[in-house]
Amino acid sequence: MHVPAKPSPKEVPRATFLGRAVAGNLGALAVGVKYFFDPNRITLLYPHEYIKLRQGYRGYIVLIFDKCISCASCARICPARAMKMVSINVFDKKLKKYMKKKYPVINYNRCIFCGFCVDVCPTEALYHVPYHDLVYNSMADMVLTLEDFQKEPEFVTAKEGVPVTYIYDEKKGLVKVHYEEEGGEVQKAEGGQASAATEAQGEQAQGGGG
Amino acid sequence: MEAAPRLPGMEVRPVERHVYEVQIGPAHPGSGHMRIFVEVDGDIMVRVDPDIGFVHRTMEKLAEGRDWIKNIPLFERMAILDACNITLPYVEAVEKILDIDPPPRAKYLRTLLCEINRIASHLYGMGIFGVFLGHSTLYMWAFGDREVFVQLAEDLTGARLTHSYPVFGGVRRDIPDDFPQNARKAARYMRNRLNEYAKIFLNNPNIRKRLEGVGVLDKNRATELGIVGPNVRASGIKYDVRLVEPYEAYDELDFEIPIFEEGDSLARAWVRVEEIRQSLNIIEQAVDWLERHPREGFMHDRFWKNAPQLYKDIYNGKIDYAGKYRVKLMPLFASLKVPAGKASARVEAGRGEMFYYVESDGKNVPYRVRVVSPSFRNVIAFKYVMPGHRLMDLPAIYGSFDYFPPEWDR
Repeated sequence: MHVPAKPSPKEVPRATFLGRAVAGNLGALAVGVKYFFDPNRITLLYPHEYIKLRQGYRGYIVLIFDKCISCASCARICPARAMKMVSINVFDKKLKKYMKKKYPVINYNRCIFCGFCVDVCPTEALYHVPYHDLVYNSMADMVLTLEDFQKEPEFVTAKEGVPVTYIYDEKKGLVKVHYEEEGGEVQKAEGGQASAATEAQGEQAQGGGG
Repeated sequence: MEAAPRLPGMEVRPVERHVYEVQIGPAHPGSGHMRIFVEVDGDIMVRVDPDIGFVHRTMEKLAEGRDWIKNIPLFERMAILDACNITLPYVEAVEKILDIDPPPRAKYLRTLLCEINRIASHLYGMGIFGVFLGHSTLYMWAFGDREVFVQLAEDLTGARLTHSYPVFGGVRRDIPDDFPQNARKAARYMRNRLNEYAKIFLNNPNIRKRLEGVGVLDKNRATELGIVGPNVRASGIKYDVRLVEPYEAYDELDFEIPIFEEGDSLARAWVRVEEIRQSLNIIEQAVDWLERHPREGFMHDRFWKNAPQLYKDIYNGKIDYAGKYRVKLMPLFASLKVPAGKASARVEAGRGEMFYYVESDGKNVPYRVRVVSPSFRNVIAFKYVMPGHRLMDLPAIYGSFDYFPPEWDR
């Protein structure tokens, strides 16, 4: 068998006493000072800003009633037993009569957002919405009725907050930018209020190193 | 000393004069719930006893009552920051019983997520290590840089931590179109960043004084105790599952396995930094491979051959609300029956060797799943490494082993 992986003996860098005392301290200080003036900040000012997640994020789940064929695969595969089937009387268009059919409802007290139900649905009657920050008033509200399960939950943060997204950068790792709906063009986020608040946090983080 | 009362399962430990017992835990702000009994004579630890079983959660028994696929999200809960590595051997073992071998693209995708998880896990461990030593800068840095790799994992799987990514026969998603360039940027960023980690933390004289020669685990002792993972490689033993028994795509990738000889806390911190470097190489190689090859073979034919047109449309992004590059699961996954048989599999998780033994009697639930997690094998080292050191060295040794209580007691 071909094994390209090879062990490579390495050594912890040793330094002379002078090198350690001078170079070690100076190196640490230099890096600290560098990031004091040019910090990497990724702090999200949450209620004022929210992350615009991309499609494909496993958020809350919505049922498309007309596509459901009552196969109960979603309820069977659910690892947390959050999905249950309920019987209701519906008018069947093919057979032209009222009949009992089963439809899934979800209990968000139990749901772990693994997305197995969405992936196993043979008609793609379930889909994820790309957000996850919702508030319910009581535990009972989190057990959805069939009507609620068909509606996309209200995304309250999006009403007031500014959508931001993080892009990858070679120098900074992740950089927070404003999310623009059309065209996909992004600009650097440099609001006055935003940077003032992150400034304080950045200094705190630097405190330990300097 | 007169006879102490004896009850089954009860252990009575006489405490010597001038020795005090300190309990580290049960709620630890750094690492989660765990408990270590420490006896100190003055400031010197004379006896250290990790309380194995303190946060036991009956993972193995729970697995016996769940369908095969439902165990994947369950086992992830052992170490959610290392989710793909933790569930992969279970999936591999079940694949061995089902007698299927995932196609090459699925293998590369799994390898890719495994390495992203390994980096995220090492950075998490280093951040905790830093804050244990009072170095809160490293804590902020490591957790901030971990966010880069958590974001990569989110782009790939749709979830930050509990990915549930490998399933029997394949994976659940293919890489998004902009993933390769993002991964390369992240890798280049992290490589530069590791040099700065060395400057501010590992070569910082304050930190070296705390770590050098502290908690030395020599070769013989490490072998005796069965330590695994980066901890054993820091003691000079060339042992890595990726080396001795390559799984998934590791036999086609070119990478090194860093070995350090010292065996002290500093070497254990360095071995993680070097491993992150190698993981970045692996990510770049895997991404190159995935870009070069056509998008096919993400799921074994047995589960994809009869896929209806709708499934292929969803994969190709033709249904607007459904997303793109999603691999649908066939409905038979919900009621999968695995033929009778037994299999075992192991992978190199972030903290060491992760081993599963799976036994089936032909039903829709496993007959037995045995889990051996790396932190469980590493924790016993505390008992032998710590005595003789001062109490202030406990966090340094504890942090350098990068040990994770939920995985220790599963």
